[in-house]
Amino acid sequence: MAEKKTSETTENNSVWAHSIKVRDQLAVVWRLIKMARPSYLLFSGSIFFVIITIVFDGYLPYILENFMNKQLNDPSTPLKTVVAFALIFGSIRIFSAILLYFQNFWYTQASETASNNVRKKLYLKLHSLGMRYFDQVPGGALVTRVMNDTESFFDFWTLFLNLLYAVISIISIYIFMYFSDAGLSIGLLLIIPITLFTIWIYQKYSSSVYRNMRAKLSTLNAKLAESINGIETIQNFRQEQRMMGEFESINQEYFDARFKMVKMDSRLLGPMNQLLLGLSIVFILWYLGNQSFSSAVAGGTIYAFTNWIANIFNPLNNVQQNLSTFQDGMVAGYRAGKILDDTTYEPAQNKGAAEEVSKGKIEFQHVDFSYDGKTTILHDLTFTAEPGQTVALVGHTGSGKSSTINALMRFYEFQKGRILIDGHDIRDIELNDFRKKIGLVLQDSFMFFGDINSNIRMYDDSITEQQIKAAAKFVDADNFIESLPKGYQTPVLEGGSSLSAGQKQLISFARTIVRDPKILILDEATANIDTQTEAAIQKALKNMRTNRTTIAIAHRLSTIKDADLILVLDKGSVVERGTHRQLLAKKGYYYDLYKMQSMENAGK
Amino acid sequence: MGIFIKLKWFFKENLRMYAIGLLLLFLTDLSHVVPPYIIGLFTNEVVDRKLTWIYLLVFLSILALIYLLSYLFRYGWNTHIIKGAALLERTLRKRLYDHYMEMDAPFYQKYRTGDLMSHASNDLSAIQRVASGGILMAFDSSVSILLVVASMIIFVDWRLTLIAIVPLPFLAVGVSWIMPRLRRAFTQYQEGFSKMSDHAQESFLGMKVIKTLGQSKEDIQAFNEQTDRQIRINARVARVDSMFDPLATIIMTFSYVSMIILGSEFVLHKTITIGQLVSFTAYLSQLVWPMFALGQLFNVLERGNASYDRVMDLMNEKSLIHDDPRGVSVVKAGELNIRIKSFNYPDDPKAVLKNIDIKVPKGKTLGLVGPVGSGKTTILRLLLREFDSYDGEIDFSGHDIRDYRLSSYLKKIGYVSQNNFLFSTNIAKNIAFSDPDLPQNEVEKVAKLAALHDDIMQMPKQYNTEVGENGISLSGGQQQRVAIARALIVSPAILILDDALSAVDARTEKDILNALQHQSRDQTTIISASRISSIINADEILVFQHGKIIERGTHHHLLAQNGYYAKTFHQQEMASHYEAKLTGGD
Repeated sequence: MAEKKTSETTENNSVWAHSIKVRDQLAVVWRLIKMARPSYLLFSGSIFFVIITIVFDGYLPYILENFMNKQLNDPSTPLKTVVAFALIFGSIRIFSAILLYFQNFWYTQASETASNNVRKKLYLKLHSLGMRYFDQVPGGALVTRVMNDTESFFDFWTLFLNLLYAVISIISIYIFMYFSDAGLSIGLLLIIPITLFTIWIYQKYSSSVYRNMRAKLSTLNAKLAESINGIETIQNFRQEQRMMGEFESINQEYFDARFKMVKMDSRLLGPMNQLLLGLSIVFILWYLGNQSFSSAVAGGTIYAFTNWIANIFNPLNNVQQNLSTFQDGMVAGYRAGKILDDTTYEPAQNKGAAEEVSKGKIEFQHVDFSYDGKTTILHDLTFTAEPGQTVALVGHTGSGKSSTINALMRFYEFQKGRILIDGHDIRDIELNDFRKKIGLVLQDSFMFFGDINSNIRMYDDSITEQQIKAAAKFVDADNFIESLPKGYQTPVLEGGSSLSAGQKQLISFARTIVRDPKILILDEATANIDTQTEAAIQKALKNMRTNRTTIAIAHRLSTIKDADLILVLDKGSVVERGTHRQLLAKKGYYYDLYKMQSMENAGK
Repeated sequence: MGIFIKLKWFFKENLRMYAIGLLLLFLTDLSHVVPPYIIGLFTNEVVDRKLTWIYLLVFLSILALIYLLSYLFRYGWNTHIIKGAALLERTLRKRLYDHYMEMDAPFYQKYRTGDLMSHASNDLSAIQRVASGGILMAFDSSVSILLVVASMIIFVDWRLTLIAIVPLPFLAVGVSWIMPRLRRAFTQYQEGFSKMSDHAQESFLGMKVIKTLGQSKEDIQAFNEQTDRQIRINARVARVDSMFDPLATIIMTFSYVSMIILGSEFVLHKTITIGQLVSFTAYLSQLVWPMFALGQLFNVLERGNASYDRVMDLMNEKSLIHDDPRGVSVVKAGELNIRIKSFNYPDDPKAVLKNIDIKVPKGKTLGLVGPVGSGKTTILRLLLREFDSYDGEIDFSGHDIRDYRLSSYLKKIGYVSQNNFLFSTNIAKNIAFSDPDLPQNEVEKVAKLAALHDDIMQMPKQYNTEVGENGISLSGGQQQRVAIARALIVSPAILILDDALSAVDARTEKDILNALQHQSRDQTTIISASRISSIINADEILVFQHGKIIERGTHHHLLAQNGYYAKTFHQQEMASHYEAKLTGGD
C-alpha cells in the first residue's frame, strides 16, 4: 500500500499554508464517512474480522502463559499434551491468518470503492455547475481535485483502520491482562495518558512541519513544470543560469523541510515508541520482581505481559505514522467538500419545462444581462431572428457579443427581459431538446483524444458512419480527412496537436452538423488560416447557414455581408441594425468603421 | 546489487555520513538482542525466587540504559541514512534540472512534459529508496539475522534455533514471489488511473463542447464506467497486497509450533530453563521484519536500478547547443546578410530553403509572408542558430553568426515566438524576464512601446498583477504584447516577431508597429506574419513559397507586380481589415 503514491500536483496550493480548524476537520471526517455508503457492507465485514483477530491476538499469549505456568512446571506432562497444545495454538493462528487476508482485502476494496464514490459524486457535481465555474477554475486544478485528492482518501481510511485497531487492541489486551494479573494491568493503564501525550506533542509539532514540506514540494514541482514548458523562452533569453539558481534554492528548501520532518519523526515517532515500549517492559519487570519477594511469579506471566505490551504499542505506532499523511486526506476532503458545496449551478429551466424547438425562431425582448449582478453587460437587447435567417453580431471586444451567446445558450442566467424560441420562453424548453436542436460552434475547436470519427460522433452511438461522412462532406472536411493515411480513423492526439487550426475547425463544424441542429450559433474564430483551408471554411459556413436560423459572432466579411440582420453592438447596446446595404446607406457608425478603413488602405 | 555499484559515487561522496549511519544501525541491532537475554535471566531469578533488591535494581538499570541508548542509536541512523536518501534525491534532481535547461529543441520534441516531470519525481523517488530502504534492508536485515540467530544459539540452544528458523526463509521467498505480482497489478492500476485523469482533464477543458452537444449524461456514464473498472483493477492489487500479513503469520506459526513442542520438551527435561524459552520467543519475533525486508530488497533494488538507467539515459542525451567561449563576444548593430544555397533539416533530405539571398541594412525592417510551410519560420530558426549546418552563410555586423559566442549572440536577439509562454509571476517580472533587476521605468517604457501600459494600469494590481495559473488570465492579444515587451527590454540588435501580432487587433497592431519604427534607429527588425497589415510598412517584403523567394520589394512595388502578394492582399487583407474593424480582432 505504501506504493500508492499520488503524483504531485503542479499547482501551488494555498491550502497547505494554513492548518484546517478542528471543527472543519470533524465536518470533513463526517462527510467522508457519509460518502462511503456503498462500502459500508465491506467495511463492516472487514471490521468484524478485525475484532476477531484482535481477540485472538490477546488470547494466544494468555493460553501460552497458562501452558507455561502449569504444564511446563509439571515434569510429568506427556509429549502428547505438548503436541496437542502446540497444534491448537497453531490452528488458531492459521485461522486468524485467513481472517487477516479477508479483512485486508475487503478493507482495501472498501476504501477504493469509497474514494471512487467521492470521485463519481464530484464528477457529477461538476457537470451540474455552470460555465461561470469553469471560466473561473482552471481545468488542471479540477483534475487534481477529482483524481489525485480522492486518491489520498486512502490515507484517511488507513488511519481510520489503524485507530480502530489500536482502540480495540487496547481494550481486548487490557481485559486479558486483567485476568492474568489485575494489579499489574491497572498499573499499566498509565501508558495510555503517556502515549496520548506523545501523540499530541507529535501532532502539534509535526503538522506544521509536514505542511511546510508539502507546500515546498508543490512549489518545486510547479517550478519544474513551468521551466519545462517555458524552456524556449528561458533559452531565448539566456536565463538558464538564473533558473538553475532559483531551482537550486527551492530544491534546497525542500530538502531542508524534508530533513526537518525526518528529524521530527526520528525524535518522536518510531524510536520514541520503542523507548516507551522498553520503559513499559522495565515497569512490568519491576512490578513482577517486586511481587516475587512476597509470592511466586511464573515465567509465563513475564512472557505474556512483555508480549501483550508490544501488541499495544505496535498499533499505536501505526496510528502515529499515518497521522501526517492523514493531513493529506483532510486537505483533500476539505477541497472536495468545497466543490460539492459550490452553488455556481447551470441556469435552471422552469419546473416542468417540456416545450420543444420546432422552427427555430429566436426573439430577444428587452434582455438585460450581467455576469456578477453588478455591472450590466447587455442593456435592453431586442431583436428577432426569423426561421432560417442569419443574424450577425458585430462590434468591438467587450461590446457584448459573447454575452449574447452566453445568455442564449443558457451558460449564464440573464436577469431581465425574455428570450423566446418559437414563441416559448427559453426557460420552458426541455433542456435536452434545447441542447440537441441548438448547435454551437466555438471559436476554439476543442479536440478530444480518439480519432476523427469519435470527434465527430462524440459518444452518440446512434450516429452512423454514413452520417459522419455526409456531415464531413457537407462542411468540406471530407477532402482533407480522406487524404489522411487512415482517413476517418486517423488518431487525434491530446488537444488535436496533429491537426492544423483550420482542420480542427472543419471537424468541429462536422461535429455540429451531424446532429442537424435547427439553430446554429457561430462564434467564428479569428485565427489566421492558410488560404486553401480558409476557402473551405467559408464554403462550409455558407452551407451550414442555409435553412438554419443562425446567430453569428461574425469575423468574416463574407458572413457579415450575407446576414439578414446585422446588429452593431457597443457597450452592450445595439447602436445600429440592418443589412450590410442598409447600414452603409445609413452612413452611420457601421459606415464609418467600414469606410475609414478602406480609405486608409486606398491611401497607401 | 548493480544499483549499489552505480551509486558508488554518491556513497563515496558521503562516506562519513554513511559510515556513521551504518555504525549506528549496527549498534541499534546490537542493542536489540540484549534485552531478551536479560529478560530471560531475570525470569529465571524470579521463578527460582532468588531475586534480591540489588539484583532487581541492577537488571532494570541495565535494561533501561540499553533502551535509552537504543533510542539514541535509532535517532542517529535515521537522521543519517534517511538524510542520505534525501540528499541523493536533491543532488540528482538538481542535475536533471540543469540538464533540462541545457537541452535543445529535438530533446523537447522527443520527450513530453509529463515524461520529463515523471522522471524528475517518480524515478528519483525510486532511486532514493535504494539509498534509504535499500541500504536498510540489505544491511539491517542481514546484520539483524546474524545477531539474532547467534544470540539464539549462544543464549538458548542451537537445536531449538535450527528447528525454529527453518520455515523463515520461506517468508523471504514468499515475499519475493508476491512483489513482482503486486507490481504488475499496480502498474495496471496506474494505467487505469492515468486514463481516468486524461478523461477528466479533457472533459473539464472541453466542458463547453460537452454541454453544447448535450453530452453530459454520456460523459458521466463513461467516467462512471471507468471508475468501476478501476475498482475491479484495484481488486487485483488488493488480492496480492493482502497476502503479506497472512503469509508472515502462517510461516511464523510453523516456527512457533516447532518452538513450543521442542522448547517445552527441553524445559521439561531441564535442557533449557523457562527463562531461556521466554528469551527465545522474543528473539523469534525479532526475525520477522528482516525476513520481510529481504523479500522486498530485490524489488526495491530492481526498481531503483531501472529508474536510475532511465534517468541516466536522459542525462546522456547530448545537446547540440554549444557555447564556444572562443567566439566573438561583442555583438553590435549592423547589416544582416543571408545567403543560403540550400538547407534541409537533419532528419529529412528534402531541401526546405533554396537560393536565398537577403540583405537588411542596419536599422531596417524586413517582412516575410507566405503560406504555412513555405520556409519563413525555417529562416528564423537558422537566424536563432538552432541549426548551424547549411550550405551558405549568414553574417551580421561583419561576422558570420556562427563565429559569435552563442550566449552573447542570442542575448542581442529579441525573439517573440508564435506561442508566447508567460511565467506564473507578476507582469513586471514577466516583462523583465531577461534581467529581474531592471528598474520599473524600463519596464514601463517597453510596456508602452508594446501598447500594453494602458491595459496594465487597468488591472487590479497593475504591474504587480499575477498572471498564469495562480493569477488572472490575459487575452491572447495581451499575452502577445507582454511577450513583445519582454523582447524589447533587452534592446536587441535584431528584433524578430514570428507571427507575434496575430491575436492583436488592427488598431493596436498599428500602434505597436509605429512605436517600433520610432524607438531605435539601429535595430534590425524582422517580422514574419500571415496578416499582411503587419508587414505593410516594411522596407523590404519577401514572399516565400516552397522554400524560395518568389516576390520581393516594398508594399507598393509588390502590389504593382500584381502577383501572389497582390492577390493575397486583395483577397484576404481588405476583408480582414473590415473584419478587424467591425468585430474587434482581439
